[in-house]
Amino acid sequence: MPTITVDGRRLEVPEGSTLLQALDELGLLMNGVDVPHYCWHPKLSVDGSCRLCQVEIEGVPKLQIACDTPVADGMVVHTTSERVQRAREGVMELLLVNHPLDCPICDQAGECKLQDYAVDYGLDHARTREPRRPGRKRVELGPTIVFDEERCILCRRCVRFCREVPETGELVVENRGDRSRITTFPGTPLDNPYSMNVADVCPVGALTTRDFRFKVRVWDLDEVPGLCTGCSKGCNVHVGVARGAVQRYTPRRNDQVNETWICDEGRLSYREIGAPDRITRPAVRDAEGRMQPVSIARAIERAAERIRAAVLREGPAVVAALASPHATNEDLTELRRLLDGIGTATSGAAVVEGEPDGLLLQAERAGNARGARDLGFGDPGLVFEKIRGGGVRVLLVMGRDLLAEPFLGGTDPLASLDAVILLDTHRSALEQVADVVIPGRMLAEKGGSMTNHAGLVQRVPAALEPAFDAHAEGAVLARLRAALELVLPARSEGAA
Amino acid sequence: MVSTLVAQAPEATVLSDELRAAIDREIARFPEPRGALLAALRLVQDELGCIAPPTARAVAEIFGLHPAEVLEVLSFYNLFHTEPQGRHEVRVCTNLACSLRGARTLLRELEEHLGIRAGQTTPDGRVTLGHEECLGACGYAPMLRIGDRYHEELDGPAARALVDGLP
Ligand code: SF4
Ligand code: SF4
Ligand code: FES
Repeated sequence: MPTITVDGRRLEVPEGSTLLQALDELGLLMNGVDVPHYCWHPKLSVDGSCRLCQVEIEGVPKLQIACDTPVADGMVVHTTSERVQRAREGVMELLLVNHPLDCPICDQAGECKLQDYAVDYGLDHARTREPRRPGRKRVELGPTIVFDEERCILCRRCVRFCREVPETGELVVENRGDRSRITTFPGTPLDNPYSMNVADVCPVGALTTRDFRFKVRVWDLDEVPGLCTGCSKGCNVHVGVARGAVQRYTPRRNDQVNETWICDEGRLSYREIGAPDRITRPAVRDAEGRMQPVSIARAIERAAERIRAAVLREGPAVVAALASPHATNEDLTELRRLLDGIGTATSGAAVVEGEPDGLLLQAERAGNARGARDLGFGDPGLVFEKIRGGGVRVLLVMGRDLLAEPFLGGTDPLASLDAVILLDTHRSALEQVADVVIPGRMLAEKGGSMTNHAGLVQRVPAALEPAFDAHAEGAVLARLRAALELVLPARSEGAA
Repeated sequence: MVSTLVAQAPEATVLSDELRAAIDREIARFPEPRGALLAALRLVQDELGCIAPPTARAVAEIFGLHPAEVLEVLSFYNLFHTEPQGRHEVRVCTNLACSLRGARTLLRELEEHLGIRAGQTTPDGRVTLGHEECLGACGYAPMLRIGDRYHEELDGPAARALVDGLP
């Protein structure tokens, strides 16, 4: 590996990489070694168009762009010299010549590289008297993205993203010189399942998502590490929380999982957290068959009564459980303990599948399908068979995925059971057949770990508290086990 | 990354067999087919007069490119047109040397004479008037071109006479 010296620091760098790549790989870029850059992006091809990344290399008369200069053994690089500073100031001045400076009404303000570097390297006044180039302020490039032409610095990251990642290529630069602008071909709007990533790669406020536009100022957001639970890829996200609600997901870089991207569907899946159809309070069915709201303690007690009665009458084998592939490993471990404690093994997890897209989106549309399998909640076919054959009296259901084809397809097969105990986050037809309904929490509301399709276990903290009476499934199941153990003293504690 | 997300299929104009064959001959001359894109666009414009979006789509299909990439090339060169042009293209150079020698006045005079603005075509479809960047005839400024022919050292009357003489 070649050795280079950057600002007096000797670094071993990967052969064949560029200076910026090497710094990025060592985790030093903008984190010890500041080389500001616009057009370069760690996951896109090199463009070399913004000229902001210029550095001084000993023995080379002119400044060189770090994004397109390969490392060489013995190279001595300066990133903080007077010449470099002056070059950055010059580039910033040119980039700002036509900028509208409308930060007060710009969504990017607060997380804008143009703002950041203008503060670091910009002049505090404009030396030009010419009018700024006017541009269109609101161009709908497609169903998800709005473009502000005046703010664009033509770094072409968005163009390269569309060509290189989803390979759909909808965006181009048309015209040239000071008439250059980002556009689409007539009749071919920016419309692909990864389109919203262009708003993330755009270093300025030129591309914004329709979803997040004017919703909340970014400095009011608490950004908490989270996971998308839309499929078994387990893409890493920042959960943006403000005013007690999740306002957006943005991708969180993880080179092992999602690099710097997430799919649009996953990005918008944060909406499920604040959806109007959340189950918001525990309830049990009364003697007249109506659901009555109760305390969580009463709901757990009722569930315990149902299980206890069935076990005493017909033995533990008539209790079955369908685990949710959306639940955390911690939740599912509690479920496993509970089932072991009761002494039944009839369980599985219904995982809804779709088409994988060859990029990130996996066939299994649940964040912890693999984790559920690893904890022994596999094919639910046997559970369904046993239900249809009358061998189940009490069914513990986590999640509504079993309602989908090719599983139960509906609630009819559940009508003849003694009791359905439902632990779920969102309302569904299952409530009609349930005896006990307990509101669960989404991952962002409880934290925990999930195992992605490749077996990687990822743990995240809770990002917010739900505004209603919802409970982490694992905690509920632990309380249920405690309630049962009082009357099932012969059962030993199950294996963890 | 290899993805299954391909651009949607378009409706495109059909190019004549001769044109298609001429484009294929150009493609054969380059190691990378897309090297022939510029040549192909010239052939298409020579035959059809302009390259409207459906035509650009057809060309993109031949080259296996996204139509937006063809637009990128088309819009970069101002010798390509995406809208129909008049029978005669009159373009006055307004670059530095010609402007110093009165080209902008010349262009304005022609606008008045023809009753159209630069960038427009006379209602009878005879003349499209426009300006042009440097054509390398600075020593003979001001100048204009009509189609492929240069006309140099002009003044108002000479330019008007030229335009009036066009069939
Ligand atoms: S829209 Fe944003 S990403 Fe695209 S070229 Fe302009 S500044 Fe760069
Ligand atoms: S690929 Fe899967 S995990 Fe990643 S963002 Fe999309 S749905 Fe979420
Ligand atoms: S980052 Fe190097 S030129 Fe833009």
